[in-house]
Amino acid sequence: MDAQFLIEVETLAGSLDQLDYFAILKLPQGATPAELKAAYYRESRAYHPDRFAAFPNAALRDLVGRIYRRINEAYTVLRDDRKRARYQADVSGPDRAAKLRFTEVEEAAVKDEQKRKLEEQLGQTPNGRKFYAAALVELEAARLEGAERALKSALMYEPENARFKEQLATVQRELDKGRAKGDVFKIK
Amino acid sequence: MSDDIAVGIDLGTSYSAVAAVTEAGASPQVLPNEWGDRTHASVVSFLEDGSVLVGNDAKKNIITNAESTVYSAKRLIGRFFFSDEVKKAQAVMPYRIVEGPNNAVRLQVRERDLAVPEISGLVLKEMKAIAETALGREVKKAVITCPAYFNDNQRQATKDAGRIAGLEVLRIINEPTAAALAYGFGRDISQKICVYDLGGGTFDVSILEIGKDVFEVLSTAGDTYLGGDDFDDRIMTWLADDFLTRHGLDLRQNRFCLQMLKEAGERAKIEVGRDGVASIHVPGICQSPEGEVLDLRGKLTTDQFNRMVMDLVQRTFKVCDEALQSARLTAGDVDAVILVGGPTRLPIVRNSVRHYFQKEPMSGVDPDEAVAVGAALQAHALLNRNAAEYGQASYLLDVTPLSLRVGTVGGFTEKIIEKNTPIPIEKSKTFTTSRDGQDRVKIRVYQGESNRAEGCELLGEFEFKGFRVAQRGAVQIQVTFEIDSNGIVNVSAADLETGQRTSTTISLSSGLSEKDLRAAIDHNAELELARGPRA
Repeated sequence: MDAQFLIEVETLAGSLDQLDYFAILKLPQGATPAELKAAYYRESRAYHPDRFAAFPNAALRDLVGRIYRRINEAYTVLRDDRKRARYQADVSGPDRAAKLRFTEVEEAAVKDEQKRKLEEQLGQTPNGRKFYAAALVELEAARLEGAERALKSALMYEPENARFKEQLATVQRELDKGRAKGDVFKIK
Repeated sequence: MSDDIAVGIDLGTSYSAVAAVTEAGASPQVLPNEWGDRTHASVVSFLEDGSVLVGNDAKKNIITNAESTVYSAKRLIGRFFFSDEVKKAQAVMPYRIVEGPNNAVRLQVRERDLAVPEISGLVLKEMKAIAETALGREVKKAVITCPAYFNDNQRQATKDAGRIAGLEVLRIINEPTAAALAYGFGRDISQKICVYDLGGGTFDVSILEIGKDVFEVLSTAGDTYLGGDDFDDRIMTWLADDFLTRHGLDLRQNRFCLQMLKEAGERAKIEVGRDGVASIHVPGICQSPEGEVLDLRGKLTTDQFNRMVMDLVQRTFKVCDEALQSARLTAGDVDAVILVGGPTRLPIVRNSVRHYFQKEPMSGVDPDEAVAVGAALQAHALLNRNAAEYGQASYLLDVTPLSLRVGTVGGFTEKIIEKNTPIPIEKSKTFTTSRDGQDRVKIRVYQGESNRAEGCELLGEFEFKGFRVAQRGAVQIQVTFEIDSNGIVNVSAADLETGQRTSTTISLSSGLSEKDLRAAIDHNAELELARGPRA
């Protein structure tokens, strides 16, 4: 093992926390899955701990172990389309420095966000949901005033619900149009 | 090239084998014992004179020396005393299974309590002795294989068994991965392959992508409760029920009769697989209350046998489905199917595999020897710094078979590392104190696919101490979970703000303590392997 390689290993191990997964696998951000796999195999051939198992230098083995664990981590995230999309957005964004390593905690946060959005569609409180459901029934039957009343009630329970507000605004616009024509009951 | 040698050992539920690469560039050889046997029953018989007999000769003692002869110990390795597998074994095994400290399993043989790794340690000691005789030199290092679906407890116990036998365990590798290595090593192929490994006690499937010298495991799945023994059980049940209706006696009530029945079942399975029909005759299996000596007789046809075991065979394909799905492949994407394990010789298994993959399974891979051969290749590679220079390099990129989880409140768990993640890998998670002045944090680590703790296997409880004592929530402890190349889990923790490492204590673990381990090593060294003349 030449000195050149030792220096390379030390530099790489020391800078792991400043590199994103693409840099670790020496790949451009737009790499295809086939390129990703080829890079993973190439880096495995270079840094697989088995290559160094018989080396007496424990410090070297330790460094290689650290590098290889990060190579595996990078590959695991980038081979998963969903995780890769989020990771790519993260490291292209303003928080890049803090997001070089993918964490499941963020994964959980994203799930919570999705759940919150979904709940907002239907309401977050029992009463909010009840009135919102009633509003939808009224709308279906083209009873705009009933829908307006139900949506206002729903908003009493969930004043921050953007979806409810949006719906109410739409209904009120329709009502105004109808009133202008003086033909409240024939709006389709 | 160093003068050192390392062997590869396939430590099986029913049979074990040992192989070695004797010189650089040579192909690996399975090492036979002095009688020419290439596979050895994983049976340990404790003799009256204090010595132990291991291997095919010991197998004969299952009937004559039933209480002091231990077989299928691998079914119990790394399990907790309260597990289903241990309960099942207690009902059928002729040797005594008792509870040890920390819910561990102990086997009581000739007034002595032995941990399961001690038994496996004796099988390994025999493999070591066989290798030493065959090679004419001392052997100190080995690669040992285990089922891909083994959890951390079982891997750790397997590693302990190696240490007990006086071996430096260079690596624990997965049996299907070893078989794939035996198949693809030095052949310069690029294929997607499936290893279908039906052993004596476990079933594993691994899907691999071989890219010349790189062996990437795409996914692995398995069932540690399914193996050739279950096929024997079906025949036994059929024979015993038949005997019960004829003579009104239940052979399963007597441990001696049960062992004869088991042997007859195994023999019938092999015969029916080879010849299409098996005639069973065990003279004098028991005596009626009137003193009449009764024989066990039966005739088993292929059709009958196939009907008995069809559901077991079907179960293996559910596991195949799961592995293919994890690898995001279909059966048609697989270029080659490799069969490993004795039961894959059965026509019903071969035919079903052919039907499922629409492909003839590979011939030329010996189902009994491939795993040991692969382990020997890996042992050789790990020992030699310059393997790459003479084209002996191969890189095994293996995965963890089970998700790693931590226990949370209310008996739930949270996933830390997903199954089928390449190893070695590490992942950190931050925990915080929940009370003012809290000076320790405890976490429980599990492996499994259930959200509920009770649906997973407990690996242990880790206690961290030695961080700053402050108001609740003020101290953040970063816990790092690492799965190493053996698939063994290591947990460490540090204070996130100061970087100070905390001390870690493991409790509630099924493993042996360092003290017990040392005692076991000494005891193993004292025991002499019986090398009697073969009858």
